[in-house]
Parts: sequence; C-alpha cells; structure tokens
Amino acid sequence: MANILVVAEVQNGKVRESSYELVSFARRIAKAQGSEVRSLVAGKGAQAAAEELAKKGGGEVYLVDHELLGHYSVDAFNKVVRAAVAACSPSLILFSHTPIGWDLAPRIAAGLDGAFVSDCFNVEESGKLVFLRRIFNGKLDARFVPTGSPVIATFQPGATSPFEGAADGKVTPLQVALSPQELRVKFVEVRTVQKQGVDLSKADIIVSGGRGLGAPEKFPEVIQPLADALGGAMGASRPVVDAGWLPHAYQVGSSGQTVTPKLYIAAGISGAIQHLVGMKNSNYIIAINKDGDAPIFEVANLGVVGDLFEIVPALTKAVKQAKGKA
Amino acid sequence: MKIMVCLKQVPHQDARLDVRPDGTWIQEDNIKFEINSYDTYALEEALRIKDLLAQEHAVEVVVVSIGPDRVTQSLRTALGMGADRAVHVKDPEADASDPLGVAKILAAVAKADNPDLILMGLMADDGNSAAVPAMLAELLGFASTTSVMKVTRSNGTIRAERELEGGALEVVDLTGPSVLSVQTGINQVRYASLKGIMAAKKKPIDTKSVADLGLSGKVGPAAAKVKIEKIYPPPKGKGAEIVTGSTDEIVSKLMGKIKELGLL
Repeated sequence: MANILVVAEVQNGKVRESSYELVSFARRIAKAQGSEVRSLVAGKGAQAAAEELAKKGGGEVYLVDHELLGHYSVDAFNKVVRAAVAACSPSLILFSHTPIGWDLAPRIAAGLDGAFVSDCFNVEESGKLVFLRRIFNGKLDARFVPTGSPVIATFQPGATSPFEGAADGKVTPLQVALSPQELRVKFVEVRTVQKQGVDLSKADIIVSGGRGLGAPEKFPEVIQPLADALGGAMGASRPVVDAGWLPHAYQVGSSGQTVTPKLYIAAGISGAIQHLVGMKNSNYIIAINKDGDAPIFEVANLGVVGDLFEIVPALTKAVKQAKGKA
Repeated sequence: MKIMVCLKQVPHQDARLDVRPDGTWIQEDNIKFEINSYDTYALEEALRIKDLLAQEHAVEVVVVSIGPDRVTQSLRTALGMGADRAVHVKDPEADASDPLGVAKILAAVAKADNPDLILMGLMADDGNSAAVPAMLAELLGFASTTSVMKVTRSNGTIRAERELEGGALEVVDLTGPSVLSVQTGINQVRYASLKGIMAAKKKPIDTKSVADLGLSGKVGPAAAKVKIEKIYPPPKGKGAEIVTGSTDEIVSKLMGKIKELGLL
C-alpha cells in the first residue's frame, strides 16, 4: 500500500498547527487512494510532540530525537527526512510552505528526482492528484498535475482546517546518525525586528500606500495627510519598503505586520498575496487603484477604480471639513 | 572568487496577463519582459561583494539565464550593471522546464564554471515556486539557505540573515560553496550607468544548448515531472462594490461609508 508522509514541524515543543493541516490533506488523499498516512517528527526532546501527533491523526509517527535537531538545519533535516523516506517509501511527501518547508522540500525533491509542487492552497484527490496554486503573485491560479514520482508538495499554512478527529497511531523511533561536521549551515540565533515605534496592530484606521504612489515623497504628501485627518496610522506594501521609501516598520503583510483595523484604505496597492494575508481580516476595506483587475478589489468592500492622486487629497479635504464642523 | 548569479526573465510586473488558447500558460507575444525582481537583488548583492573585496582579490561575477533570444536583453542589462560575463542557455528544449529541469540546467552550467557562491532570487515573479535555489544546491552538493536579507563574510564563512514569518530573522553560518536565495529589499539595486552599458557591449555572452550541457532528453517540457494542466483568473469572490462617478460623487460616497462605520 502506498504511503503518504507528513513532515511535521515542532515549535516550542509542540507540533505546529500547519502540520495538522497537512494531516487533513493527507487523510483526504489517503481515503480516496487507499493509502496510509505516516508522519515525521524531528527535534530535540520531541517525544511528547510525536505522541500528540500520533493521537491526533498522524498515523505511524517516526520520531528522530537528536541533540543536533534542536534548531532547524537544512543538512540535518535533509538527512532525517531521507531516513523516513527510506523507512516507508512514500509516493507523496507533504511539507508546510514555511521558512523550513521552502528551504528543505526542494532539496528533498531534487535528491529524490521527484515531482515538486510548491505553495499549494488545495488539492483535488479524486482520480489523479491535481494541486492548486497561485502564480504571477496571485494574479492567476493554476492546476498542476504531477507526472513523476514521488510527489513532494508544500502547502500554504491556513490552506485547510487542522485535522481534529482522533485516530490511533503510534510512535516509532528512528535512529539517524548526525555529527556536527555534517552541518554546513549552522544556526546562530533568531532575532526579532524592532518595531521602531510604529505599531499598526493597535490602529483603528490604517491608510496604506503601494507601488502606485510612484515616488517616496508621495507618502508624506498624499497618504500621511489622510491618515492624520482620520486620526489613523500610515502603512505600506512590501515593494515600497523594499525600495527604501519607508522603513520596514510600516510594512503590512506576511513578512511585516498583520493588521485588523476598523477601516483599511489601500491606495495604489495591487494586492499581492503577501499583502492580502496581512490585511484581509480588517473590518472594512476601501481600495483605490487605477487597475480594475487588481486583486485588491477581491478583498475590498468598497472599490474605486481611478486616480489616487485625485481621490485621496479630495477625501482628505472632505474629512478635514467634516471634522471641522463637528 | 567566482560568484554565479542566476537570472530569470519574466513578464513585466505591469504586463497584461492573458491566458493563451491552450490554457496552459500566458500569451507571451507583444508583452514586455524584465529581469525577475528578486533576481535583480541577487545580482546587486553579488556586485556589492565584488566591490567590497576589490582591494583584496578579484571577484568574477557570471550571470546565467535560460530562455529565447529576448533573454539577451536582460543579460546585457546585467553586464551593464557590472557583471563580468554571461552564459545564455538558448535552446527550445530548455524552455518550459519544470523547476527541477531548470535546476539541472543551472547545475550543469555551474559544474563547468565552478563558482564559490551562487546567488539568485527567492522565487520568480511568474512561477512563484521558490524551488530552484535549494534544488540547485542539492544537485551540486552545496550548502544553501533561502529568503536571505543580509550577507556578510569572514574567514571563509558566510553569515546570512534569513527572513522568517512576521519579519523575524534567523542568523546562520554557511561553510563551503553555497547557494543563497535572496529576498527583495536586501539592498538598493543600482541602475546600469551609460559607461557600464557601453562597456557591456564588449563583454562576452557564451551561448549554450542543452546538448552542450549533456542534458539532451533530461530537461524541458517532455522530461518535466510536473505539468500545468490549466491556468485561469482566480475565481471572483463577492468582490468590492465599485464606486463610480465624478471625484466629488466618489468622495461623498466614501465619506458616507466612513461616517456609517462611526469613524468620523
């Protein structure tokens, strides 16, 4: 019987929620194809995490517990995953599309000469497997069909609900010899980035600008005045920060701040996935963009297809007038 | 020291993306192409290392790209920015390879060129797979790390800061030949100067075929292990209510909504 291997991630001694999402996908596919779900937990002192996963749908859980697995290292984890692959010859290997998943899964795919699909948001399991993913930074969707074997896939965290049913599994220790000399990439430390006084998470109103602003001086000229008039904060999309127009502290998105204000105004932001992830749960979203096909209009409540340099200053003026009267 | 930078030419960020009749990719005729944004940062990082080490020893920056004739334009741009020479894998058999096919082609180029360091973007703006850099490292037996926001060097060790979720950074040390995939924003990318563009005209672009690389039958669409069945615009959600009219009418509608939300 074919096996599906879920490569779980352990964080602070517990299996990450995204790994249980992989279990959901794996069990769905296993049911359709008559295959069996197995999992891998690698870490230092990860016995409890492995036992938890075995009780909560992970099936037979291979546990590699080793001094050198306390922090992620691509060389050590590569060797460990390959040991689990050797143990169960899976036809499908699942990773989360996380900093560990995107660092490790392609190496596994190349090492096994397998079929690789990255950053999927869903999979169709009836008949042949079809993996659904976004391309062109979210502007198009695509159906990917693997023709090689094994299949190695990474899934977006949050792509499905974590598996919640109870299923009887067991933990099987797996011995993998690791020495410090093998680790060509060594963990040094994790640093959190200073917020530099801009805490967007507490703002009720955020006015964000994107690449459509065209130049750094447009932020103090156009975006900040509206944010000030509304008593809100200014934010920005990644390209703006990458270009050095504003510090990282202003960045809204998966690699910046995740925000849920009462009102989010996006001006000149097309809506790349990484930005949408950080603001789509705002209570109300107004988007202003010259491109009516921009993905931002899919998550916005109210949209204006037009010139932000005309609309935003006019809106700022109107807000100031309204507040002056109040 | 030799640094190889892998560049992908992709549709311009503002290009119109129409699905071609067979439904498996976009219409590529009559649209503008540019160097993948992530890769421009990789090239800039390589050029900075070259500038930084110029006093100590020579650093050669070799740029590599796969694709049809139009790719020459991107390679010329890279040479104009300061790369020393270019390798262009120009062969219909190489085009439309899956990420593993691309990694095999780049690995063959790297084996012939023997770089100490390979830099490339975290992902491409078209395929968004973020797969090729780590695959390339595996095929070459190189060390690798991904989503790099800072690179420093000391005594043969490369220290990289990689971006984690929520903006946290993981610091790692790499030993030996390495592949780094860089995140956008790692640096400020230079423009090619007029002098650089003139100098680039004399710099060599070495053209290679799949056969030259010993990969006949091993890469390209026929050998791909993953096929694209269909691409399509994302299903429309409920979507935004679109406000139309004069600027005054639009502003009045927006004001009405902001008042309704109790925010004025």
